[in-house]
Amino acid sequence: MTLSLNEVEAAARKATRGAGYPWGIAEDAGKATRWLCARGLDGCAALAEALSRFDGASLAEIAPNPAGAVWTAPAGELCPLMTGTTLSDHAGLSDHVGLVDAAELRLVEVAVPLLLLPFVASMAAQRDRCVTLTWTEGSAVTDGSDLSLATLPPPNTPWVTVAPGGALGAARLPRSSRATPAPEAWDTLNRFAHRTYAPATEESRRKGAGADTSNSD
Amino acid sequence: MIAHREVTRRPPETVMRLKRLGSLHQSRLSFMRVLTRRMAGDAWRFSRPVFEVDAQGVGHAVYTAQGPERAYSLIAFAHDLPDDQRSDRVIAEAWDATFTLFDGVPTAADIARLEAEVPRQEAGRIAESELSLSRANRSVRLWAHVVEALAAGQQPDPAQIDAVGYLMRTTAVYGSGKFGAADRDTIAEREEFTVPFQTEMLSVYLIRTFVRDLVEHMARAKGGAGAASLDPALARRLGIGNSTGLGMAPFLINHPILFNNWIIAREEAIARVRGVPVAKAAEIALFRDLLERSVQSANRWTSQHPEQMRKLDALHRDLKTLSARLAKAPLAAPYPWDRLCLWAETALSEEGQELLASLILEPYPDLVDGLAHCMADSNDAAFRIDGAMPIAGVRTLLERSFGWAGDLDWDAPENCARAWYVSEEKLEPRMGERFEEPIAAYEQPLAPARDAALAARDLAGWAADSPVAAFLLQHPEHRHTIRRAQMSRVAPYGEFRDNTISDRLLPIDMLRAKLSFFGATHFDPRSDRWVRICMYAGAPYPEDLTPETADHWVYPQVGG
Repeated sequence: MTLSLNEVEAAARKATRGAGYPWGIAEDAGKATRWLCARGLDGCAALAEALSRFDGASLAEIAPNPAGAVWTAPAGELCPLMTGTTLSDHAGLSDHVGLVDAAELRLVEVAVPLLLLPFVASMAAQRDRCVTLTWTEGSAVTDGSDLSLATLPPPNTPWVTVAPGGALGAARLPRSSRATPAPEAWDTLNRFAHRTYAPATEESRRKGAGADTSNSD
Repeated sequence: MIAHREVTRRPPETVMRLKRLGSLHQSRLSFMRVLTRRMAGDAWRFSRPVFEVDAQGVGHAVYTAQGPERAYSLIAFAHDLPDDQRSDRVIAEAWDATFTLFDGVPTAADIARLEAEVPRQEAGRIAESELSLSRANRSVRLWAHVVEALAAGQQPDPAQIDAVGYLMRTTAVYGSGKFGAADRDTIAEREEFTVPFQTEMLSVYLIRTFVRDLVEHMARAKGGAGAASLDPALARRLGIGNSTGLGMAPFLINHPILFNNWIIAREEAIARVRGVPVAKAAEIALFRDLLERSVQSANRWTSQHPEQMRKLDALHRDLKTLSARLAKAPLAAPYPWDRLCLWAETALSEEGQELLASLILEPYPDLVDGLAHCMADSNDAAFRIDGAMPIAGVRTLLERSFGWAGDLDWDAPENCARAWYVSEEKLEPRMGERFEEPIAAYEQPLAPARDAALAARDLAGWAADSPVAAFLLQHPEHRHTIRRAQMSRVAPYGEFRDNTISDRLLPIDMLRAKLSFFGATHFDPRSDRWVRICMYAGAPYPEDLTPETADHWVYPQVGG
């Protein structure tokens, strides 16, 4: 069974909200998951891993302090959604430490760095040049739209760097209009998403949609 | 020499009030009319390669529409539904008929695959080769009457046809990747789908043809050789009904740029026509003809809903007032349409004002029709937050969209009485009473004005020149609000200028706004959050679709 990218985005958004993130972050997570799936990567599995890992965490503990060129989380591990949105939000600040051209930004202990790539692409689009994400054993380059990636980054890595530059190479990923997530990852997302649904009550069933009392006329 | 008069679009503060949006009428830009004009203009060909339905009305049929480059096929499954299972709610699990729009011409294997899925609707799975998923229920009353009359070799009673307006009503038409269907992105570049909702409108157009064929088939099965065919003039009066619940209202809030593009296209069209210095005789004649036919249409429009009955009374009065005005001031003065609209603002109700605003577009296809191509939303980049925007800029945007809310007390129960949520029961969108039901924890982000007030409060202590990126890091809970505020730069008509969680909210106003852009008529609210409508009533069936019949069908012929 393949999924439409719309289904992926909707499930990812709801799951992220269900895991306790605000709606705005959930919207970004939906788009990010879709972006990965549209490039043939299992964005659903990446998101399911991140949500499971940070379920119930306080956002302030897992978000970066973007003051310098080395970003860390107060609680030790950086959440890729909080880190990714912060990267994208700061990309247009040309005087920001660590984001000036040619400078390298180091992210310490960021979980599931695959999920950073859509946000790195957003940086590239805003700055109109390629940006490279590097981890201990590999790297990925994006121009904002296309992505070159030879090997997947591991879900745990002591550090990654984000730096302007690089070129799309032979490892450019083809586009996909469908997603085939790992079944257990898809189940995990739907389990998180279910937390956003109100339990059915008789009153809600009767009044909440305000439907006709009779439909057989 | 006529002194130049500058006519601008009506401001969002006027247009985006729910009371006015709840009075919108179809127009040249409506998606159904865009589709019928295109299909006629490009000489689409229609065929029915399969019709395998038994005497009980169970089976399937295929209707193929062949455009210049591609073909699309409606695959219809007809069922024998016991009366006690017939429900228009999302939570229904069986229907009289179920449908999918197939991208191309299906093989027997495609049909067999879809026969196992489409009748189950939300519980089934369709694929990238399918563009829509929908279902319909009979109007039990009219269906029985028409089958019995035709089976007896007679024609049905026109009064009964007009009283209901349709033989079947759809209860959902899903597109855009739902339940496995193709994403809109994969078809948005096709010339025939550049305008929004064209796959859904094509599905319904073909459903209407299937329903006419099915009722004749059932009459023949019952009456044998003596059965009559449905008089084409009567058949043409029949539309397809639609029963629409709350789900459409969140759609408009969740797609502010798309909705902006619909509204601004219509507003731009209105401004262009109001800017016409002199109306030619033929233009005036067409306007008058369609006005008379609008009176006919209004006379056929019935509702038992107290609010809509009041609005209909006002509309009937408005139409009389408008006719009297035209008799007195026959559009001869300079800028006749602008004068008429300015007069209408003081003389007519919002029903009448908006009917008039749509009607003046009719004589000017060259000024209006091209705007349909601006109605889709292809601005993916607008989703991205500009973190460098100074706080002062964000404040200005919030003020521009939500200044009307002023110092509304958002803690007062009447101002936040409602909460929108999704039920775990088949994921039906619902609205409840915040202070009476345990739903607040499940609230959907569908109160942009309230959320803007919350964001503005937290922005208060921030320096005007700080970048919003810093604010968002401390206040991720306002992220969706900041995004919407930035989107409003390209979508000035993207926000309702009303409180969507007020105790006085009428969700039917939002439903009507959306449905009017589809081209629906005869809005008949069944409660404050549920409306029945009619689609394609008066439209030519495929065999009669020509450039001459493709456009003004929505206006009934006087006496016809």
